Order: sequence, then structure tokens, then C-alpha cells
Amino acid sequence: MLDNLPEWLRTTLGDDFAFWLGYLTNGKHLTWYASVQYTLAAAAFGMLAALVMGLLGAAARNSRLGPLRLLGGLYINSVRGIPDVLFFLFFPLAFEQTVELVRAQAVCTPETLAANVGQWPPCDAANWLLGTTEYLALACVSLGIVYGAFAANVIAGAMNAVPKGQLEAARAFGFTNSEVLWRFHIRQMWIYALPGLSNVWLLLIKATSLLSLLQISDIVLLANRLGAPNFSRSAGLVHPDWRWAYYLVLLVFYILITFVSEKVFAALTRWASRGMSVASPA
Amino acid sequence: MNKLVIAAAAAIALFSTAASAQAVRLATEGAYAPYNFIDDSGKPAGFEIDLGNELCKRAALECTWQTNAWDSIIPNLIAGNYDAIMAGMSITDERKQSIDFTQNYLPADPSYYMVRTGTALDFAALSGKSIGVQGGTIQAGFVAETFGATNTVKAYDTADQALADLSAGNLDVILADASYISEVVTGSAGALERTGPEVKLGNGIGVGLRKADDELEGKLNAAIDAMKTDGSLDDLIVKWFPDKTKPIFATN
Amino acid sequence: MDAILNDIALLARPALFNIYFAFASIPLGFVLAIFFALGKASRNKLIANLCSGYIYAFRGSPFFIQLFMFYSLALAFNLSLWKPLGIDWIVLNPLVLGPAILALNTTAYSAEIFYGALLTVPKGEIEAARAYGMTGAQQFRSVIWPHMIRLAWPAYTNEVVFLFHATALVYFTLPVIGDQQDLMNKAGELYQRDYNAFLHFPVAAAYFLAVSLCIFFVFGLVYRRLTRHMPGAAPMRFRMTRPAR
Repeated sequence: MLDNLPEWLRTTLGDDFAFWLGYLTNGKHLTWYASVQYTLAAAAFGMLAALVMGLLGAAARNSRLGPLRLLGGLYINSVRGIPDVLFFLFFPLAFEQTVELVRAQAVCTPETLAANVGQWPPCDAANWLLGTTEYLALACVSLGIVYGAFAANVIAGAMNAVPKGQLEAARAFGFTNSEVLWRFHIRQMWIYALPGLSNVWLLLIKATSLLSLLQISDIVLLANRLGAPNFSRSAGLVHPDWRWAYYLVLLVFYILITFVSEKVFAALTRWASRGMSVASPA
Repeated sequence: MNKLVIAAAAAIALFSTAASAQAVRLATEGAYAPYNFIDDSGKPAGFEIDLGNELCKRAALECTWQTNAWDSIIPNLIAGNYDAIMAGMSITDERKQSIDFTQNYLPADPSYYMVRTGTALDFAALSGKSIGVQGGTIQAGFVAETFGATNTVKAYDTADQALADLSAGNLDVILADASYISEVVTGSAGALERTGPEVKLGNGIGVGLRKADDELEGKLNAAIDAMKTDGSLDDLIVKWFPDKTKPIFATN
Repeated sequence: MDAILNDIALLARPALFNIYFAFASIPLGFVLAIFFALGKASRNKLIANLCSGYIYAFRGSPFFIQLFMFYSLALAFNLSLWKPLGIDWIVLNPLVLGPAILALNTTAYSAEIFYGALLTVPKGEIEAARAYGMTGAQQFRSVIWPHMIRLAWPAYTNEVVFLFHATALVYFTLPVIGDQQDLMNKAGELYQRDYNAFLHFPVAAAYFLAVSLCIFFVFGLVYRRLTRHMPGAAPMRFRMTRPAR
């Protein structure tokens, strides 16, 4: 990449700067920068999944059916007792095992089963090869389920905060139940839900640092690899342990995302409270 | 990055007009220079990558490379994630219970101890020291057996992590393959040195294959034989391991 | 059933490690948090900004990465600082480093909670205390502190539970020495042996749930004592989320 710079620029910048620029933009580092796509994708789709689960959970919590309320309550409260990393690791494993179990019923012959006694999967044909995309999808669903419980709590509270008078007036006007729900209840709920949801978003974005535990080559794994001391000249630059510097970069990256997220949510809150008679309840 | 390479290679393989080209997925660790590592452009490189590509050319196979962590490299081979392992894996009886090996393409390397320059250790009566090894290697087994009773043995996921802890002062000594140690000692510019006796472990390094894959084993063995007889394997070894001298396999 | 009981027995000792990490970091985190909360509310701009910045940095970044960073930072100073002083076996031991980094993290979250409580202490009472001629320290001891701790307690309980959950990450980043093992390690090891994800992880989860409920109960008792002077005080209302902002 350095060869593309004009000669005069190279001489002004000096050899040291040029060297570091070259080093920080070599293939390995570019791969590291590019892997931030996994973090952002997991955060975006995880948040979407969490919103969906949150709406479902809140609906269950506020439903008229007892068992549904119980289910919703169980869902929301179990998350308070379990670390998110445990569920994050458990869900993909459990899902993969279930799929392979179902497949094994279909494709396993007695010989292949005997060959794999005591191992998993029950027979080689039932193995489900998981690549980065599959793990990413599973991670998004995991994040959605865990943070959906938080979101459900927030949304349930926000649904209760919408002034009842609005809903009564809508019903008096003759709107059907589902129209009241979607056009009035949920639409007006967002302003009350935003502070809580911004909280959920910030927790979720920090949880994306755990993607490397699911064998995804994300920013944390590559930072570890890039920073580890290298003494082999054939493998590239010989350098001591630089991992703390790479992790510091990651730390700053996450702090920046937090900063930007807060600004975005402030803007969203301003937008959502337009025309509202109450000041932002945040 | 690797996925892109694999996808591209797979696409090429699909549209290739070479009717006899069989697609073979090779796996390596990518963290054990100079055997295998990730080069500056982010792709697997090293002695075994060069050797693997050459073997595939001679055996008329379409080869693609994957990296896999050391501790799951054998289970994933058996599960079918890829077809062969070339990751500095020594041929041992214990491993032969679950997978097959081709003949060795590197003779048995002794293992060396490495310490920070200036550390004096008495290997006949080692006690109270912390010894680092890569988990699941022949060195790990040896150290646990010999020194585990009176010393702390720390097992790491990769050899580089053990190296990081050694250079940071968290370990007293590490045991690893001679070629790896030699490379590191040269590159450390005096900070680390080799010490103590040689330890002979393992029966050379070979390609790991599933037990049922006899056809692939035959093809690779034939290619390795060819490279041994015509001297190209020796050339490749000397290129990547400067402290080895010819002849290694060649009989002339 | 037997398998479940067996697992419960196997995971008992690892659970102690998680409990140790949490309770080793609570005292330091609690005390530091009070200082940082007072600092953030201070009229001295420099101190207020420094405390604010610390709280923002530690709340805005993932704990997982904080663990990695402080471990490699401590390692980088090994040959130059800890070894010459002879304390490297203390500093780099996960049983010391783990609670230290946890304490740094919980200080930030707790400080934010205490700061919020500090702002809601009734101003009138503080003015009255000043009018009576109480010094700053006396004001703090008699007026500010009781209000602050009572107002902050429910949120702080939540934070302690989340701290306990965060201990699950310690052995993913710090090296495991000897036969130390926490719940996640052990559950993972048991899984590798028999590939039964549906047995080992739920039992580990049950341990986390059980200890979390204990924390809620014990801290609830403390809250009842803190509000014993209030007529018909509302029971402790638990907030779902660990405040992230």
C-alpha cells in the first residue's frame, strides 16, 4: 500500500511513520479491522431479535391467559439469575446437539452408530458443520433471547406507562382492539421504553465482545493473535508482547461506540417525544 | 479471510476442467512458525503449507487450507470438517488410536528446553519451577510425567502463549520442538536461550488422516516418496529450517 | 436424577471460586465507589471530571476486554517491576488479579449508583446540618451517608448480583493454575467428557441462580434494617437491568 504513496509524501512522513503505517495496514491488520463487521452484525441483529423477544415477552406477561403470564414471568426472571455468558455458550451447543440428534435418527445406521460409541455426534453422517455465519446467527439468537428478557421488562413497564385515557379514547372512537394496540398503545410506548432500551443496547453491544468464545474470528481473537509476541522472523515482524496495546485499542473502540450510541439515543428520544404532551420521562 | 480463500478455491475447483482433480481440505494450526503460521497478508504460510501445496500438485489434488485450533484439530478431522491435518503433528501410538498417519515428512526432531538468558536450571533435580508446554502435545505428556510431581506444569492453548509468558517472566522454562525453539532463540536477539539436555520424543511428523481415508493416504504417501527420492523434500526442509543440513531423506 | 445430584456435587467446589471472586472484590469496590461518587459530585472541576471519566470508561467498555487488558498490562511489567520486588507470584495470581480487576469494574458501576443516590439526598437536611455548624465529615456521617446508602441499596443489590455473574468470565481470560476451576471451567470440562450439554450447563446455571437468590435475600434483610425507621416502607423494588449509562 505504501508503494502507492507519491515519493514526496513518503520522504516528508519519514521512514518510521511510513513503516508503522505499512505495518498497521498489512493483510493481518486489515483482517482485524474488517472483523469488526461481526461485532456490528451481531449487535444489530441481536438487538432486533431482542426487540422481537421483548415484545413477545411483554405480551405474554400482560396477557389474559394465566399460563402465558407464568411463562412470561419465568422467562423475564430467569435471566436475573443466570450469567449471560453461560447462556451465550449453552444455546449454540444445545441447538447444535438437538439438530444433530434429530439428524442422527434419520441418517444413522447401526454400523456407524457402533463406530462412534461414547463420542458425539452419534454417527459421522449426522455431524452438522458450523461455519462462521452459522455461529454468528446462533450468537444473534442467543443475544436476542438473553437481552430480550431485559427488553421485555422494559417494554412491559412502558406499556403500563402509556396514559390509559389515550386507549379509552381510541376505543370510544370505535377502533378495533388490534388497531388500538398497534396504532395507539405500541406507538406511544416507545418514548417510555427508550431509556430502558438504550440500556439494553449498551449491555448488548458489550456482550458482543464474547463472540470469540463461539469460534468466530472477531476483533478480540485477532487482537490477541496480533499482539502476541513474535520471535520468528519468517512469520513477520519480530516484536515483544504488545497485547495490552491492542486491547487498549479495543477498549477505546467500545467506549466510542457507547458515546455514539448515547448521542443517537438522545436524538431518538427527541424525535419520539415530538408532539407529546409530557416532557421526556427519562 | 480464510473463508474467502476457501470459497474462491472451491469455486475454482467446481469450474475446473481438470476431471481428475479431487478437492481436499487441509487443516493447519497457523501458530507454530516456521512449520505453519499466518503471514503478514493474513494467509496460512510456512513449511507445511509449501509442502502441502507441492504434495497436492504431485497427487493431482485441489487443495484448500483451513486453520483450526490445536485442541480441536483431531476431533474436527474425525467429524469431517476437513480431510487432512498438516500441523507439526508428531506420529504417536496414542494418536494412531484415533487417526492414521502417512509416512513422516520430517524426521523426529528432538525437543529443547528454553529459558530466559541467564537462568540456570538443574534438570536432574528440577523442583519448584513453573514449566510451560502447549496442551495436548507430546512435550506436555512428557513434562507432566517427569516433572509434574514437584513442579507446576502450565498448559497453554498455543505455543506462542507459553512463549509470551516465558518472556514476561511468568514461567521458568518451556519445552517444545527443536526447530520452533531454534527459530525463537534466533529471533529473540539474546533474550532467550536454549538450555539443558535434548529430549527425544515422537516418531517424526506426518499428515494426519481419518482411518477410513485409505485412498487419500495412498496418494499422499506416493507423493511424499517421490519428493524424498528426488531430493525436493530435502530442499524444502533446508529452506525453512536453516539449522538442518542435507542429506535428510535423500539417499544420494 | 443421579446424574444431576452427581453434577451438583462436582460443581460445588468450583462454585466456591466464583463466590470467592465476587466477595473478594465487594469490599474494595464498595469503598472506592463511595470515594468516586463523592469525587464526581465534587465542586472541584478536575476531580469531578477525572472521576466522571473513570466511571464512563469502565462502564462503557466490556468487562471481558478489561480483564484481558489488565492481565497483559500486569504481565508487561513483570520483569521490570513485580519480579524485582518479589511480588510477582501475588500480582499475577488469578486469585488476586481477578478480584482486583473485578473491583475496578464494580467501582465504576457502584459509583454511578451512589452518585445518583447522592443527588437525591434531601438538600434541606444538609443545609440544616450546616446551619448547626457541623463539619463536612460530620454532615457526611450524620446526614448524607444514611440517606445515600438507603436510596442506593436496591440498585446496589442488583449490581452485586451482576458482579457475581461477571465472575464467570474471569477464568476465560486469566490463566488457570493448578486445580483451580470455576463453574464455567468445570461445566465445560464435564461437557467435553460426555457431550451432554443439557445436563452440565443447566446445573451450573442453577448454582448461579441459587447464589443470586441468596444475595437478593441477604441484601433484602439489610434493606429492611435500613428502612426500619420509615412508616410502611415499600419493599425493595428490584430493577431488571444493570444500569449501563
